[in-house]
Amino acid sequence: MTQQWETSVANEEKPTEKARAVRARQRAIGRELRRMYDDVAQEPIPDDFMDLLRKIDEAEESKGGKKVS
Amino acid sequence: MPTPARTLPNRTADRPEDGDFKSELLALIPFLRAFARSLTGNQEGADDLAQETLVKAWQSRATFIPGTNLKAWLFTILRNQFYSDRRRAWRQAPWDQEAAERIPGGGEDQFFSAQLSDTARALRCLSDEQREALILVGAGGFSYEDAAGICKCAIGTVKSRVARARKALMEILDGDDTLGDVARPAEGDAAREIMSQLDRLSSPEFGALGGKRRPK
Repeated sequence: MTQQWETSVANEEKPTEKARAVRARQRAIGRELRRMYDDVAQEPIPDDFMDLLRKIDEAEESKGGKKVS
Repeated sequence: MPTPARTLPNRTADRPEDGDFKSELLALIPFLRAFARSLTGNQEGADDLAQETLVKAWQSRATFIPGTNLKAWLFTILRNQFYSDRRRAWRQAPWDQEAAERIPGGGEDQFFSAQLSDTARALRCLSDEQREALILVGAGGFSYEDAAGICKCAIGTVKSRVARARKALMEILDGDDTLGDVARPAEGDAAREIMSQLDRLSSPEFGALGGKRRPK
């Protein structure tokens, strides 16, 4: 994943001065994208989600009508 | 028996595998939220979307083939839901110019977006197709093949969308002349730019992926 990104960035340009600067910039942008994504993924799961899963469970229960808790 | 606070209610599995399926759903919620945030650009819309996805996924669980990539399957549902919700919103709510003008300063989202990092804002300028490809491959860690499956297009299409998205982001962030200008930042400048971006990212007002923090 990370490697795929870095490799595709690395293979794109010939190793000139300009290309190196562009690659460095692309890697920085790539890191920032991952960081933004990971920031959200690392947030605690809001309670709404747990409530929802509980509701799904209760719906299943009443539909089945035969469950013991 | 005491129940730990964050385990799933698992007592009603109609099929034995339902319990496992639900645990796996739970484990993938953080990634659904992250992908949803990148699509909608705001937290509330993203969490609604992620929740709709969970419900859809649960209803369709019989169609999931065990042993295949559940994360990619969920992301596909989420993406479909995002585009179908948006089409519906367009049909049902024609743009209300008067209401828009009544919102001081253009509304809350705009206020918050003024505090976003440049990259988060630049991401909003990309086309949907480029943005989703870039996020899936560049941030979500999906292979080009899985990303192609999620976006329902050819692998080559994903590759070119990612490449164009990367180039476009750089042009938005650094000015249109970046790729053609030999005098653009040398390594030292790039490193300084990275550090200043990291500083901005770690500032408290940064809202990831174009979202806004909801007060706790």
